[in-house]
Amino acid sequence: MHKRRKNIAIIEPSDIIYEGLFNLIIKNIQNSNIHRIDGINDLQDSEYEFSLVIINPKCVENRLKEFIKLKKYHHNALWIGLVYSYIEDDVLQKFNQIFKITEPIDNLLNIINSNIDYDDKKQNKELSDREIDVLKLLTQGLSNKEIADKLFISTHTVISHRKNIVEKTGIKSLPGLTIYAISKNITSINQSFN
Amino acid sequence: MYKAHQTYVKPETEIIDIITENYSILLMLEHFGINFSVGNKTAQEICLEYGIAPEAFLIIANLYNGFYPPKDLSLSSESLISIIDFLKNSHLFFQEDKYPELIGYIRLLKASNDNKTIDMMEQFFNDYIDEVNEHFNYENNTAFPFFVDLLNPKSKSKESQFSVKEYRDHHSDIETKLEDLRNLLLKHIHLENLPNIQRKFIRGLFGLEADLRKHSIIEEMILVPSIEKFERLKNA
Repeated sequence: MHKRRKNIAIIEPSDIIYEGLFNLIIKNIQNSNIHRIDGINDLQDSEYEFSLVIINPKCVENRLKEFIKLKKYHHNALWIGLVYSYIEDDVLQKFNQIFKITEPIDNLLNIINSNIDYDDKKQNKELSDREIDVLKLLTQGLSNKEIADKLFISTHTVISHRKNIVEKTGIKSLPGLTIYAISKNITSINQSFN
Repeated sequence: MYKAHQTYVKPETEIIDIITENYSILLMLEHFGINFSVGNKTAQEICLEYGIAPEAFLIIANLYNGFYPPKDLSLSSESLISIIDFLKNSHLFFQEDKYPELIGYIRLLKASNDNKTIDMMEQFFNDYIDEVNEHFNYENNTAFPFFVDLLNPKSKSKESQFSVKEYRDHHSDIETKLEDLRNLLLKHIHLENLPNIQRKFIRGLFGLEADLRKHSIIEEMILVPSIEKFERLKNA
């Protein structure tokens, strides 16, 4: 299955704190892309979809309205306030989580880890018997409709099997799947259509 | 937006510094026709020396360093000509350098591995190359000459059967098959012999994917939007 990298935005004016965060995350959080963003305006313009935004509340304390709008715009993101100076409570409440800079590092890593859902959880990568049936007919050049008729299932089901085959094998094209099927003795060279 | 570890290339950046940091810049220099012995010349000086539009050079150099081109680009015709030359040279690189290299590896693997699927992989790769060649030839012979003509203010041809929209539609995804080949080798097909050639082949596939990705970004995010603006102006 395709592993999607998670985009993490960091809005932190201090270079030294940013570098510290960057190194911490890169070493501990798998499959993450870190983007340093200069301010909340740049976050608005960004083409990325962020899973997580780590942000110094100082950057938004006088611009709460814009901040709330931005949170709606990146509604899938988790907003972590990185606090190392005094911030009013009503500002802090706008964040999903708060991390104070004097806390142990593990607290921050736990917050990040428990909120990033890895969609590449270990799952069965072997093809099921039904998927093998579909693959066999596919490599013989049959259309979705023909496969559906032959296996007494709906075309919709055939399409869903095909999707699973592609996800499990990592092979997208039909000629590629044919090579796969032959290498696994699912079909023989004579049976395949090319 | 800055990534922490790469240089954002500016006119005053010395080329030697960006090569040392990221040697894939060498390939970019080759596509621009720039000699590798760059001394201490800056980006601006190199552009002047080779007649390359600095704007085009900087956008592409920064793409190689991981910075995507800004949205809503509208480049000058000089820059677009530089970019078209760059793309033509990269076609040549793929066709005359990269593909023959990879074909050579497959042949070596075929000769020393007794595996029924190698012949099929060779066929698969050859089919892929035919497809890509067709696409490149279309660009070299149809799309690019049309673009160059469009950018030439003296050009008389008013009516054209071709449009950039047609080019956009023609632009198909040519990376999928490479990914398939790489996944076949890394996940499913076990070859016994010549591990060094296997490595070179797989590395070559990765490299090719990366080169083609940049190539498509240049075409889709830089060339097409700017050409479309010229087309609208001309048709207005």
